[in-house]
Amino acid sequence: MADYLWKLLPILLVFGGVLGIVPFLVFLERKICAYIQDRVGPNRVGLLGPDGFLEAVVGVPITKKRILGGFFQPLADAIKLITKEDFIPSHAEKFLFTMAPFFALLPPFLAFIVIPVGPDVTLFGQSVMLQVADLNVGVLWILAVASLSAYGVAMGGWASNSKYSLLGGIRATAQMISYEVAMGIVLLSVLMHYDSVSLRDMVGVQSAGLGSWGLWHQPVAFILFVICAFAENNRLPFDLPECEAELVGGYHTEYNSMKFGMFFQGEYIAMLGMGALTTALFLGGWHFPGYAWLKETIGAWVTVFALAAFAAKVMAFVLFQMWVRWTLPRFRYDQLMNLGWKGMIPIALLNLIVTAWINLPKGT
Amino acid sequence: MSAAHDEGHGHGPAAAELPPGVKLAPGDPEQTWVEKLYLPEVARGLNNTFKHIFRKKFTIDYDQTDRDNPAKFHRPREGYRGEHYLKKDEDGHVKCVACFMCAAACPAECIHIEAEATPTDWNNRERYPRRFEIDMLRCIYCGMCEEACPVDAIALSTTYNLVADTREAKVYDRDKLMKTGEDLGISLSKHKYRPDGVPGAVPHKKAH
Repeated sequence: MADYLWKLLPILLVFGGVLGIVPFLVFLERKICAYIQDRVGPNRVGLLGPDGFLEAVVGVPITKKRILGGFFQPLADAIKLITKEDFIPSHAEKFLFTMAPFFALLPPFLAFIVIPVGPDVTLFGQSVMLQVADLNVGVLWILAVASLSAYGVAMGGWASNSKYSLLGGIRATAQMISYEVAMGIVLLSVLMHYDSVSLRDMVGVQSAGLGSWGLWHQPVAFILFVICAFAENNRLPFDLPECEAELVGGYHTEYNSMKFGMFFQGEYIAMLGMGALTTALFLGGWHFPGYAWLKETIGAWVTVFALAAFAAKVMAFVLFQMWVRWTLPRFRYDQLMNLGWKGMIPIALLNLIVTAWINLPKGT
Repeated sequence: MSAAHDEGHGHGPAAAELPPGVKLAPGDPEQTWVEKLYLPEVARGLNNTFKHIFRKKFTIDYDQTDRDNPAKFHRPREGYRGEHYLKKDEDGHVKCVACFMCAAACPAECIHIEAEATPTDWNNRERYPRRFEIDMLRCIYCGMCEEACPVDAIALSTTYNLVADTREAKVYDRDKLMKTGEDLGISLSKHKYRPDGVPGAVPHKKAH
């Protein structure tokens, strides 16, 4: 029984952390977008001061200046989305229309299950693994659930019974399948390098300092994986399923209120998920230079630093995704397919062969 | 045309099919193999956007977020047509002579005036507006009232944040219109009434 209760710790840590950070990511995205475009971005809804939340409660602004201006914009957005009328178009397939946002939100969450966020800790004589589940299929689990997220988008597009939505859904499906092929091949070469499918083992291999990180051993795989991560998350330059210009928002054209909010949330959780996976595969997981030294100095408290290092790496990746989003224009559909099938997959296959050649002595 | 054009840089039919003497307009330049790798160009783009993060922002603080620093308030250029105000004569009375010229000129018909004889101690004219209302919700800010006014009594200020909580609050009465001018310190009219008491500008002297 106690084992099950202890299991709650990593679950709460991972899911609480993910859910807690998503609103902050929305704020960050808007702010980064604004700064890159020489604008100011959301700077109104703060805590104290004019337009602050305490002003809404007390009735008068407490300070003349805005403090943390804009930081609580996501909270205001969430209140708006939740209190808005939950409208379903009369021509939509009601059941699927309602289910689609859940299908979009769930798979990114499931991917987090196998990601180790920190080293094992001993609390009150009980050893706790900071990973929700160390499945023996490891990385394959992530590939499996990542494919499921195409269902949410495709269902949303189909159930909306609108041309824009359907086209967006179809594009999403084709794109995700195409890039999953490349991603699968990339992961194969990564698996060869680590000689394991368990992410726990992979992070273990990367414990021997900066030089042991997967990034240096599989540089081509790293670049290809990052590109595939963009395509999997439907982020620019591969955001063809949304495509504001041609498809009026694509698969979520007909969605509003919190159903739209859930699609939105799903996208950010997927970003975090891809960041966490990249960190575990290539960036050394929760390891950081000086880990062993720090562990000897402060003992078990090193776990806090390990968690912080993991979070910092994931955030760096997410920030990079946002930075790229506001830099690059969108690919055209045929360019996307060309890049995927004629560019990514051949390079990934070549990388696979080279990796196999290098790792041949290891297996025998 | 080379194979690269199949990837999306083609412009119409191939050159061989064109009639003699007809040339295609220059399309996108041929990409070098470095450019086709995308990644160096992506890195250049990222470098560019990164530099923009630290640039000066174009956003103007239009609603006075920084309330302690009036220097930062945005003021539109001279001639911007914003909120109306009523001007005053040297005695501090309303300059308007209730001639209804502005109300007649107004294309939105948003000016409502009720005229009255001036009190006995006002000896520079015969009439003044007892009531002067502008329905700011109907106003189109064309400035015709300012153009029509013969005594420089009404003008448009550069105040542009024109919000209110109720519709009633957007019907400006005489006192509100005069207060706008007082607050901005531009209340005094430059016009001189005609000594004979007839409304309108002092006529130019004929040359002959």
